[in-house]
Amino acid sequence: MKVKITNIQRFCLNDGPGIRTTVFFKGCNLKCPWCANPENISFESQEYTIGNENGVYGYDIDLQELKKEILKDKNYYLGGGGVTFSGGEPLLQIKKIEKLLEELKDLNINMCVETALMVNEELLNVSLKYIEYYIVDIKILSKEKCKEILGGDIDLYYKNIETLFNAKKKILFRIPLANKYTYTEENVSLILNLLEKYKISYVEIFNIHNLAENKYKSLNYEFPKIVGLTNEQLKNLKEKIEGLDIKVKVCKL
Amino acid sequence: MSKDIIKAIIGEKNFEHVKYARKIYKKNDFENKKNIIECYRNTMIIKKEINKGVQIKRLCEKLDIGEVNLNSRFYYYIDEFKQLYNQNIVIANFAIDYDKVLKCSLSEYKNLFVDSDDEFSKNELETINGIEILINRTIKKIGDHQVKKEIIDSLNGIMDRKANGFRDALQRILFFNQIMWQTGHVLNGLGRLDLILEKYYENDIASNIMSKKDAAELINDFLVNIHRFYKFKSNSLIGDTGQVIILGGKHNERGYICNDLTYLFIDAIKQLNYPDPKILLRVSEKMPRKLMEKALECIQTGLGCPLLANDDIIVNRLIDFGIKEDDAYNYGTSACWEPIIIGKSISQNNVFTLNLLQPLEKIFEEDRNLEELDSTDKIIKKYKDFLKDEIEMIGEKINNLKFEKNPILSLFIDDAVKRKKDVSMGGAVYNNYGILTVGMANTINSILNIEDFVFKTKKIDLNTFNEKRKRNYSEEQDLIKELKNNKRKYGVDREDVINLTNDIFVYISNILKDISKKYDKCIKIGLSSPAYIDQGKLTNASFDGRKNGEPLSVHISSDNSNAYTELIQFASKIDYNENRINGNVIDFLVTPNIIQDNFEKFVDFLLLSIKNGFYEMQLNVVSSDMLIEAKKYPDKFPNLIVRVWGFSAYFNDLPQDYKNYLIERALKNEGKNY
Repeated sequence: MKVKITNIQRFCLNDGPGIRTTVFFKGCNLKCPWCANPENISFESQEYTIGNENGVYGYDIDLQELKKEILKDKNYYLGGGGVTFSGGEPLLQIKKIEKLLEELKDLNINMCVETALMVNEELLNVSLKYIEYYIVDIKILSKEKCKEILGGDIDLYYKNIETLFNAKKKILFRIPLANKYTYTEENVSLILNLLEKYKISYVEIFNIHNLAENKYKSLNYEFPKIVGLTNEQLKNLKEKIEGLDIKVKVCKL
Repeated sequence: MSKDIIKAIIGEKNFEHVKYARKIYKKNDFENKKNIIECYRNTMIIKKEINKGVQIKRLCEKLDIGEVNLNSRFYYYIDEFKQLYNQNIVIANFAIDYDKVLKCSLSEYKNLFVDSDDEFSKNELETINGIEILINRTIKKIGDHQVKKEIIDSLNGIMDRKANGFRDALQRILFFNQIMWQTGHVLNGLGRLDLILEKYYENDIASNIMSKKDAAELINDFLVNIHRFYKFKSNSLIGDTGQVIILGGKHNERGYICNDLTYLFIDAIKQLNYPDPKILLRVSEKMPRKLMEKALECIQTGLGCPLLANDDIIVNRLIDFGIKEDDAYNYGTSACWEPIIIGKSISQNNVFTLNLLQPLEKIFEEDRNLEELDSTDKIIKKYKDFLKDEIEMIGEKINNLKFEKNPILSLFIDDAVKRKKDVSMGGAVYNNYGILTVGMANTINSILNIEDFVFKTKKIDLNTFNEKRKRNYSEEQDLIKELKNNKRKYGVDREDVINLTNDIFVYISNILKDISKKYDKCIKIGLSSPAYIDQGKLTNASFDGRKNGEPLSVHISSDNSNAYTELIQFASKIDYNENRINGNVIDFLVTPNIIQDNFEKFVDFLLLSIKNGFYEMQLNVVSSDMLIEAKKYPDKFPNLIVRVWGFSAYFNDLPQDYKNYLIERALKNEGKNY
């Protein structure tokens, strides 16, 4: 069985607890305008050009091969680390990689996904059997705007969150911040409601960066000029969330 | 300053003086003629004597005794302008056992020799007389200062009693350290100071003679004194003094040892922010987490130390090599990273550097018919033949080394006194030689590139490849990029790459075993060397995409931004058995924010890496932005310190090519283009 990925990154310190290996799957069901990994949106391999260098984003990897790569750093997972599946939307691949997850679980490897959580519940349910830790993005929470801008189904998102909490999974919420998108008066208020409802104690926020410009160019995609938050805005938001007795970490990604 | 200029200024004295004055001048960056003349006038080389001890005594009679420093509770001075005349190599790279120095008075030493009239004893007796003279002259010099009574008491004490307190012990270490440097011993280490001083510290604390805070101040004061003459003490580059303080470490009965002093020394080094002296922390799975946290706090400042040496690997390797168990547990270093046995070994650990890339170059430089080289195996075989010649040449050179008689070291290194045999004649318990190697990564990457591009994908034939290399890859930017980006490369934890590395490493080691037998000399080898820039200059373009004269790879490092765990996994699978113990250090560049933002995870990383089995590791915490700024505006960064090879130095003190190479590596590490 093979699965399409773009990269395996070892020694990741920001993708969950401990030291982790992160696997980036290709393919996503959303189209976030600020996407930092545009090479992971399409499900197909894509040729690219940077300067006079050509290459291909995406390659098929055999599950056993992938397992071998993940286990290379297993000595480093002892401090709480493990593997993180990212993407793209990793949950879309969950059935394909289920056998791998099973084997990793038998080896006691801690598994984490970085997800936007707008996938059908059948996929989420498969993941519940193996994944211990969910890094969940909070993006655009209004039903219409989520549909219009991201192409996502917010009802599914809310329902899936409910499922994760009922399953008592460890969840880390992360909020990407972009003016006019996630940082609007309406959306901030929806975010605060969500955080309050689930009595979240810790959340990470990060400003949208424009580091992916080269990747957009290499794919011939138009580079979206997204405006991140000013320090003042960041500070404001941080204080608002802290007002709910929630710890906030501002990540520099 | 040229020899001729001095002659012109002062007239003829003698060549040795000129040479020495020049050396001193170079090290101290004297700026004007007055200083040059001053330096020259002060220079004195004690004339040759048949009895080396007499020569040492003369030196002690002639030395300038420096003014006492009223801000310090210690006395420490080196007369940089007077030295012994030496015909042969002065033994370097050792650490005397200061524990013994503290427990034994000079008269006890003297008593060992008074009734003997053999040559060895006569030399030792004169040497001790010289030390006595120096002590008395020093006491006389500081005699007027009432506040300095404690120093005088300590100096007197050296003659007739054991050290009797923490400050007293530190003063005694300083005094003998001063003598080591004064008599021309470079790269001399300080040993396990936290362990040696433990009893003195505990007693003084228990009997309320001092507080922990007092101890911290004394340590600070001690380090300031040790740092004082660091330019004079420097070996090949400023900062390369070999003044290593060993902290922590396993003990064969007590398990992992560390104490208050371990922490106090690290704190003091961090606080002082000097590049020298430097610390080496002996680490083990059994060490407390908070000690690793303390070490990382120090590393994080960018000081480049402590270097981490993995006791869980090294101790057993030393035992297997033939070091007695007790001694193996008492290893240290005194130059960069080459293990020595404190107080027992005369290990000339860095006498020669073996450039591993040159034998490969040799295959392709000669007018050889390359058609016969139609497989990787054949190339490796040919490479090994040339390599063997190189190693045999080094073996011969080692066999011809002659060392200067050394009654000073013979006094402090076991078993010279017991055997009545000078250390230069083999009186020490362990007499080893060490070879450093440079260019392993370049060699491995070259061979892998030939295999992949010529034999596997057949993208290029060997002749064309070699021609392009000989033309220094002129107009071949794309090829260079491809060669450098081969996925199979040194530092990647792929079985085939590791096997090839071990194959060559073990081959060298086997040749050395034969040579050791042939000359009856014990020779070790390791995968680290300071010579990456100097040897790089002497080496033509190579198949790894390196151009003529460019630096060779640094120690065990990876030349791109591979994950740290990957390099550690690679290094942990290298075979360090048998004689392959002469320092094997992983060299990391880390950007400051990675540690800042993930401190606890970084501690995890270091602790788990010990378990993984690295040999030694050093971390250079630098950002390319800062280095580039510092190169442009040195005045803005007077205190910027970086790790160079096995030592740290002020960035501003480094030659331009070292600055450039560090910047290049930092940029690569951050994934930026150079």
